[in-house]
Amino acid sequence: MPFISKIQRQTDYNRFPSSTPIVIDNGASYFRIGWAGETEPRVVFRNIVQRPRHKSTGETITIVGDHDTALLRYFDCSRSGPRSAFDNNVVCQFEIMEYILDFAFDRLGANGSRIDHPILITECVCNPVYSRSKMAELLFETYGVPSVAFGVDAVFSYKYNQLHGICEKDGLAICPGFTTTHVIPFVNGEPVYRGCCRTNIGGFHVTDYLKQLLSLKYPHHMARFTWEKVEDLKMEHCYIALDYALEARLFQNGGKEAEDKTECWQLPWVQPPTEEPPSEEEIARKAAIRERQGQRLREMAEAKRSSRINELENQLHGLEFILQQLGQIQEEEMSSFLSETGYTSKQEIESTLTKVTLSLRKAKGEPKPEQAENDEKTDSSTSEKYPLINVPDNMLTPEQLKEKKRQIFLKTTTEGRLRAKQKRFEEELERERKTQKDEERRLENPQLYLEQMHSKYKELHEKVEQRKRLKTNGGHTNGSSVSGGVGRGERLNAAQRERMRLLTTAAFDRGKGEDTFGARDEDWQLYKLMGKDNDDDDDGPDEDEGELARVCSRLQEIDPTFVPKPEPTPLQPATAEVPHVRPLTKEDFQIVLGVERFRCPEILFHPNLVGIDQAGLDEMTGVSIRRLPSKDEALENRLTSSIFMTGGCSLFPGINKRLEAGVRMLRPCGSPIKVVRASDPILDAWRGASIYAANLKFQQQTFSRSDYYEKGEEWLRRYQLRYTL
Amino acid sequence: MEAEVIRAELVLPTHMSFKRIQMYEKYPKGQSKVRWKQLKQIIQAENYQNYDPDEPNYVNIESPPSMQPCKRICDITGFEAPYHDPRTNLRYANADVFKLVRSLPNEYVQRYLALRKAAVVLR
Repeated sequence: MPFISKIQRQTDYNRFPSSTPIVIDNGASYFRIGWAGETEPRVVFRNIVQRPRHKSTGETITIVGDHDTALLRYFDCSRSGPRSAFDNNVVCQFEIMEYILDFAFDRLGANGSRIDHPILITECVCNPVYSRSKMAELLFETYGVPSVAFGVDAVFSYKYNQLHGICEKDGLAICPGFTTTHVIPFVNGEPVYRGCCRTNIGGFHVTDYLKQLLSLKYPHHMARFTWEKVEDLKMEHCYIALDYALEARLFQNGGKEAEDKTECWQLPWVQPPTEEPPSEEEIARKAAIRERQGQRLREMAEAKRSSRINELENQLHGLEFILQQLGQIQEEEMSSFLSETGYTSKQEIESTLTKVTLSLRKAKGEPKPEQAENDEKTDSSTSEKYPLINVPDNMLTPEQLKEKKRQIFLKTTTEGRLRAKQKRFEEELERERKTQKDEERRLENPQLYLEQMHSKYKELHEKVEQRKRLKTNGGHTNGSSVSGGVGRGERLNAAQRERMRLLTTAAFDRGKGEDTFGARDEDWQLYKLMGKDNDDDDDGPDEDEGELARVCSRLQEIDPTFVPKPEPTPLQPATAEVPHVRPLTKEDFQIVLGVERFRCPEILFHPNLVGIDQAGLDEMTGVSIRRLPSKDEALENRLTSSIFMTGGCSLFPGINKRLEAGVRMLRPCGSPIKVVRASDPILDAWRGASIYAANLKFQQQTFSRSDYYEKGEEWLRRYQLRYTL
Repeated sequence: MEAEVIRAELVLPTHMSFKRIQMYEKYPKGQSKVRWKQLKQIIQAENYQNYDPDEPNYVNIESPPSMQPCKRICDITGFEAPYHDPRTNLRYANADVFKLVRSLPNEYVQRYLALRKAAVVLR
């Protein structure tokens, strides 16, 4: 299970004299700090920093390490993700490093005006001098440390285990870490950096790979796969297969062994309560409610109608009164009277009167006389409105000509409308006749009719499906372009493909090197062809789909067992939600880890599975041995007989055997190969450093502030610890 | 600050007694204006070609590309994949997986390819 951070503030800082060194293991994943000579580091935490803003006060605060997520709800963490001081395995962000050191010293219990102890801090192999000097500067200037030493964590781990007899004086240390993997040969107890080898792959990449694979396989559970959770899964379930191809075939055949090796993670899920079929009382009650609602609606409609009728009647009375009055008064006073009432002329009043009577009649629900009125009106208005049509042109003034044109236009439009109405009426009759014939056929021979309907339905369904498939397949031809979604594919449908084809064939017909398209008139006929293609494609499917819908509804009426075929649902990984074709079950909420268990750590041995073009673990040992300055067979045998694994990633089960098999492939037959693992791959580096710092001769290996400033950068570059004291 | 946050000592205090120069003195305006160098810039600045090629340094000790033949596994299932889809550039193991590959929307295709660093990046 994952490491538990230890961040309790220590109280015994003052117990330690000034000469006791503080030992720091500055790893890309975890930061460990403690006193020299002890077996366990005092403070352990994840090497990350977050700077969220407090939600109410708005100030930016710093949080080091990972903490209880429940407490983080007071902070706005959206802008700040966890940040690490490391870039690959080199410390680059020294501001973050400072926060981390602050926190570490604070939890160690530091008080006083400066850190008055020598410090041994770990770094990566062949650390660039920029990083080293900035780190030294930070420690000397800001913390007032008297002296500093830099060491490599893998080497400390090796020395610790050498002390305990797990590995020999000459050997190979293999350290798969968080972001990188190193192979360091040891000769006479000292690391030979000339033969060192580094690949930029580590536990971080394994976790990331697993996270991506699971998110792609279960897109609707993507929110569940947080980094921490996936790391847990990796540590619990992943293993390294002895032979990848064999294991993969085992899973592919799907036998019992594969079942045993498959792990399943059940997400919390509660089955929704099944609804019982409504009982009779329920149905009756619902029907009664619906009745009442219908009743209420009808009443409201009635009320509205009667109020409208009243209104209209009132208006009618008013208008009639006005007309009466108009009839009584003299000519001269007419205009003033009219302006009072708001109507401009007698005709207007009369027209409004007729309109009101019509709407009154409609509201009262007398359709027939209204239609007759309408027809009469049109007839009369035809003769009224188009008096000028029959008058020949030369007898009219220009205005009257315009008037005539307008009347001709109006006449033709009204006649057109009448014709359209007539046609619709005829079509209706036709359809009625057809359905009647259908009914008769059905009554004669129900079975045959049913079969015919079914076959027609199937045909139409097929056609529609195929056309749809063609359309979406056009989209997949563009699948390789990045920005295309599903919508873009529809644009390149068959019509456009056809058009492209025509154009390209036209271009090629001319012969090479010559482009005389357009010289002849027939060439432009090409575009006519293309235009036609476009239209066909758009109209076609609509008809078919309409026909399909009609047949479907007919079948549903007459055949109780008919169920319309649903659209083919896209296969699992493509859906963004769990497909709702059937009710959700427990299985939908299970994450199955089968092949992923050994596929993810495989990248340690084959980094090109994730696109990193470097040697894997087994090849690296060969490279490392090759790079050694002296070529000595006996030495090489001694090296391979003590291959030592340390670092967080070496905890995968099965890595030992796999590495052994891998190295055996590289070495001549019969050479001794022995792979051992550190007693505690995670803490051994710190322990080794602690024992080293507790040694009396440690002080000779450190450098002080004055050394740093006098001797300059060149000296700092060459500075290396001597590991055997 | 809420009580439980203070109790849990979540927040890093701003003043440390053992520091000579406090953070707020060093970076008076909150974050530092200094842009820290990335690893790539550090390596470039170091001018490793001026140094002796025999001496080990950060760039020297990097592993060479792999000599072993590239292992081809199916992008989706993880089995061995002798086949390759020319349209989407994915590797697949058998006909069922092929059906799946062809039905994937473009977004998923790009994500699978990105796992192998084979995606088309328009940046």
